[in-house]
Amino acid sequence: MQAAETATTSARPKTSEGTGTASGKKANRLKATKLGSAIVNDYWADLFSAKEAGKKVVWYNGTYIPPFFQAHDLAWVHGEAWSAYLAARHEEQPAQRAGEDRGYDRELCSYARTHIGQALLDKVELAEGRLDPQSERAIAISKLPAPDMLINAYPYCSSGQQWDETIYRLYGRKIPIFNVSIPLLWGGRKDAGYMRGTEWEERSDYVEKQLRAMAAFLSENTGRPYDWDRLSEVMSYIKRAAILRKEAMDLCSVTPAPASFFDWIVSIAHVNFLPGTQRIVDYFEAVKAEIQQRIADGVGAVPNEKYRLFFDGMMNWNKIGWLADKFAAVDATVVAGRYTHMSFWQEPQLVDLANPVRGMGQNYLICPNNHGAPIMIGEIDRICDQHHIDGMVMHVSRTCRGMTNSQFLITESARKHGRQALFFEGDVADESFYKDELLNTRLEAMIEAMDSKRRMMAA
Amino acid sequence: MDNNATMREILDTFASAANDSLGYARSWKERTGQPVIGSFPMHFPSELAHAAGALPVIIQEADEPITDGEAGVFSFYCGYNRSVVDQAMKGRFDFLDAIMFGDHCVQLLGTADVVRWNVPGLNILFNQLISSMNADWAWDESRGAFAQLRRELDELLGTGVTDDALSTSIALFNRSRAQMRRLYALRKAGRISLSARDMQHVIKSSMVMDRADHTVLLERMLLEAEAEPARAAGMPVYLSGHLCQAPSLELLDMIEECGATVVADDLYHGYRFIASDIAESGDPLDALADWYLRRNRKVPCPTRVDTEVSWDEFLVDAVNASGARGIIVLLAKFCEPHMYHLPEIKEAFDRAGISMLMIETEHDSMPIEAFKTRVETFVEISRRRLAVA
Ligand code: SF4
Ligand code: SF4
Repeated sequence: MQAAETATTSARPKTSEGTGTASGKKANRLKATKLGSAIVNDYWADLFSAKEAGKKVVWYNGTYIPPFFQAHDLAWVHGEAWSAYLAARHEEQPAQRAGEDRGYDRELCSYARTHIGQALLDKVELAEGRLDPQSERAIAISKLPAPDMLINAYPYCSSGQQWDETIYRLYGRKIPIFNVSIPLLWGGRKDAGYMRGTEWEERSDYVEKQLRAMAAFLSENTGRPYDWDRLSEVMSYIKRAAILRKEAMDLCSVTPAPASFFDWIVSIAHVNFLPGTQRIVDYFEAVKAEIQQRIADGVGAVPNEKYRLFFDGMMNWNKIGWLADKFAAVDATVVAGRYTHMSFWQEPQLVDLANPVRGMGQNYLICPNNHGAPIMIGEIDRICDQHHIDGMVMHVSRTCRGMTNSQFLITESARKHGRQALFFEGDVADESFYKDELLNTRLEAMIEAMDSKRRMMAA
Repeated sequence: MDNNATMREILDTFASAANDSLGYARSWKERTGQPVIGSFPMHFPSELAHAAGALPVIIQEADEPITDGEAGVFSFYCGYNRSVVDQAMKGRFDFLDAIMFGDHCVQLLGTADVVRWNVPGLNILFNQLISSMNADWAWDESRGAFAQLRRELDELLGTGVTDDALSTSIALFNRSRAQMRRLYALRKAGRISLSARDMQHVIKSSMVMDRADHTVLLERMLLEAEAEPARAAGMPVYLSGHLCQAPSLELLDMIEECGATVVADDLYHGYRFIASDIAESGDPLDALADWYLRRNRKVPCPTRVDTEVSWDEFLVDAVNASGARGIIVLLAKFCEPHMYHLPEIKEAFDRAGISMLMIETEHDSMPIEAFKTRVETFVEISRRRLAVA
């Protein structure tokens, strides 16, 4: 389920139609997040020159395994991140059309469609002279280095695994491919719980074993021994960054919340696929410092916070800025989310720097989707309590069943806990599924319901 | 059923079990006092539950409209998942002693959770089989999953699934599969008069019925089927796809009424289900692991990843070997594993110069008249190609 994005994917509403921001109130985004863009841009620049630098390139999808590549001096392309990179430049629609032209159904994961459609089919068009090599789209595509290896490490979602297998076939079945299976933690045994029980231990062993085999695969395909010390070093930065990120998130339980879900969304790349270096540590230090300062000054992520919300579902990447402002306009802070708060090294203490592989695998296992519903929902409810959440915004991302699977159950539990909930239709990368009017109406209705509940409680 | 039942009577018995699988299972339970264990398609060996003394029943998509299920699953899930959630929320699974889950399709994983949530009293045996078939650890993992499942069945039913009992169940199911393959071979050779509807009833009922009873009836039916004159054959076609869901009978009838005769398929409610046997000697759990990995090589499944097989190449070869002159691909709407392969399948058939028709089906509505026009055109084109060739 692990989508990725660049720090530049935020698309602000271009017209006033249906923005819901008539009040003129806008989200007060963390200034520090701007610093993050430079790290993202440098990553892409390094990637585009990877072959000239003599590096082999791994294409991968799934969880945050780049430390393994970085430690082995490889360049890496995260399929979702590449799709988002192009989407940020408003290039996803031609890509999706290219996919549709070849017969990929619109109901397929739009990340996969964008990736397959653009990165591969357009490459063929380019080679055959059907795409103007001077066009912005052609330039972006031609920069992406071709894969020397493919790795799939997708927790939970079968679509993720099939997507890489499709790429393997499209490349003529010639590129070595490796699959890491990250099985669902069903949580059905008597001793099951969040990060405990025999299933947890067995699955941790299993993923650890596969990650070591993945390192052997990398060695085999590069002819170089794997440098485990270097992995520990890379992980030392990531662990530090993850701890800072988590501490900063925890600070946001105050009212008004100093940062919002949307600030965390634009900070995911840094803990998802960017290199583990001092720069990401500095980044999260800056984020945390700004949050502390905002708390001291009583400044919120939304100018006049009245309601606190939880965002469930995969992000609607074309709509980050748009949505941030939409909620700000009705004085609602989206404080936390399943995607941001329950993933991306969310349990950094599990990583033992002297021997990091098992703890890394455990963090991959606890991707929120990868828990059976009762444990996952228990964690969602806990985070909602921690952040004093009044209502749930359920993004029904049409082509991402990995995220929509348990949404009826999540709302049922939220309602039992006295929280309102709304569903709105959209998608991860296919804008055509997004229905702005529906969201406006439902948001309005939810605000009214939250107000009336407050009135009743006050009476 | 008496010993002199005719082929048609036997087919009616199969049809009624296939069309009301839960009704069959419920009365079997009442009659025998033995447990009933449901499972999801498409990879669990029913032999394990059978060896534990239970009736294994593969949960089927129901014909009824989705109503209660609307509150548990979104409309953009495949018909199978929507129907299973609907059935769970209507309490249809309450009589089951347990249900076995753990397939890899992301929609099924979600449905497993929705069922657990909405039928809290139901015992669930969850074991996720590895879907990456080339992994060095695929065999160990598969064996481990079957061993765990056996332990869980032991614990649940307290009957103890011995190696001997498991080998006996394996032998029975092999015999049953061999019979059904025999039927398939006769159909391919044009030597029997069974329609696609009949064939589905035979296979689907075997997913549900007491396998020993099914085997006795099928043996008897085969004798008569082989003796009957074959029906006049139409344009031979191959059916592919539809995965966890049985294609609707109305659709199958319409295809054959348009002048086509189904001669082979890779349907789960068809050849996919019966293609591979399990070794009867040696350690039965080893045999199950071998079977699980090998069956994907026999009939590739798009929910698995396996660099050793290619579904599109398999299909072109299978169509050629079957004597079919065209392929009808049945896509269950929203079935992602299938959709990932469709462009390649289409290209492979274009390259091979074989006609292909794709029909997308939905649980709620089936525009049969519109499909009919397309099938008629497809049959006509395939015939013309045949005449030219
Ligand atoms: S459907 Fe969702 S979770 Fe699955 S591969 Fe696509 S984006 Fe990832
Ligand atoms: S494999 Fe296809 S038919 Fe089967 S449950 Fe998944 S989506 Fe539905």
